[in-house]
Amino acid sequence: MSAAVRVEALKMLRSPVGAITAVTLVLGLCGLLIVITFGASSGQPQLMAKLGPAAAPDWAGLMAGAEQVVSVASLLACGVVVAWLFGREFADGTIVGLFALPVGRAPIAVAKLLVFLAWAVLVGLLLSVCVAVLGLVFGYGMPDSAVGESLLRLWLLTVLSGLLVIPVAWVATLTRSLLAAIGCTIGLVVIAQISALAGLDGWMPIAAPALWAIGSDPTVTGVQLLLVPVFGLVFAGLTVLAWARLQLRR
Amino acid sequence: MLEFSRVGYRFPGGDGVADLTFAVRPGEVVALIGLNGAGKTTLMRLGLGMLRAQRGEVRLFGHPLNRMPTESWARVGVLIETPLAYPELSVVENLRIASLLHHGSPGQPDQAMETWQLSALSRRRVRRLSLGNKQRVGLAAAMQHDPSLIILDEPTNALDPASVILLREQLLDRAENGAAVLVSSHHLDEVARIADRVLLINAGRLIGELDTTGPDLERTFFDRIRIDDDNRRLAEETV
Repeated sequence: MSAAVRVEALKMLRSPVGAITAVTLVLGLCGLLIVITFGASSGQPQLMAKLGPAAAPDWAGLMAGAEQVVSVASLLACGVVVAWLFGREFADGTIVGLFALPVGRAPIAVAKLLVFLAWAVLVGLLLSVCVAVLGLVFGYGMPDSAVGESLLRLWLLTVLSGLLVIPVAWVATLTRSLLAAIGCTIGLVVIAQISALAGLDGWMPIAAPALWAIGSDPTVTGVQLLLVPVFGLVFAGLTVLAWARLQLRR
Repeated sequence: MLEFSRVGYRFPGGDGVADLTFAVRPGEVVALIGLNGAGKTTLMRLGLGMLRAQRGEVRLFGHPLNRMPTESWARVGVLIETPLAYPELSVVENLRIASLLHHGSPGQPDQAMETWQLSALSRRRVRRLSLGNKQRVGLAAAMQHDPSLIILDEPTNALDPASVILLREQLLDRAENGAAVLVSSHHLDEVARIADRVLLINAGRLIGELDTTGPDLERTFFDRIRIDDDNRRLAEETV
């Protein structure tokens, strides 16, 4: 297993995909928060109404904006990275070289998932740090414990988003297609939005982390949040099984 | 070392291979030749577990493929279709990961780069290599761990004449030291130089061996293929 993890980690470090996706997510979030903050300072009633709680010129407003952006953007970013990690082997034809090895394909699939989750943990951390720095630059003062909890929630939101996009790995494997995996990512985002609008609340794992982080549904329970890792584990198991049983038909 | 016993596989579209029976023994170079789509790559995929035989049995190192200990794959070196060479990694990094995945030793990549004359390109990313150099990286990755069984599909693809000679020397040297080699090729002259036996495959079936000592190898090859096609057509019409 350690050989597979080292190989997958090196591929992730050397590829521009992981780095560009992380930078896009961080710069995109910071850019949007700056635009929201300066827009809100104009005091236009229509804009203030649209921005809602994110318009407040304080830590609470900043965190509300960050949570809204990250709830969608982190799903997209994590989906792109998982799609690449699994789909690229089929798109580049390198999957052939992952057969006939003393390291089985199941450990290779597990290694890919572990490297991806490490990426999600680090990117989530980076997002929280950047939002904290932004708050300090905006002059909101030192963050108190409530802000600290919000920053922790933001980090967890990215990590949970990482667990939610694991079906993308399964789809990439079943279809042998990078584009189908990207399509699955978009599908997950759409399902999450529809679930929230349809009032499925915290019982829909794809929507639960965002509802919990944004705080629009304070009734999201711990049990409902626990369904997220269960959801991720089920699809991780299906992906590993698909890799173990993989055949290269035309 | 590698044994096929009445192996068959049919793709959903109807193509495939049938009734494949042959063996590759230690110290032997066996070449597989046939036209495009004859079933060469499918045969190799069946031998490496990339496809599971629907009929018959494939045995590797004396074990049925599905019951072979995973560690035994460390004794196999393969290049089928695409070299195991990631474009974002340098030559030396690709060889390192190939060595890791084969449970090889840390010194193998340096030695392989010297053998395959890749030392000058060691820090260059594979995406910046020519096709021929990328193929040499794939060959080095397939053989650096000194495998007992080597399976190569069209290994001379994109290679320059000097690299073809290098490959020939490598295969002969390894066979002399006890490795079993199965190689597919379109280059009849090259095959005649290195192979102990040449297996002919046509329309998914092995149709015998080709005598490489004859004067006009190309003509003999096409005659055998034409006769097999005629016989098959006749048999289908009779049915």
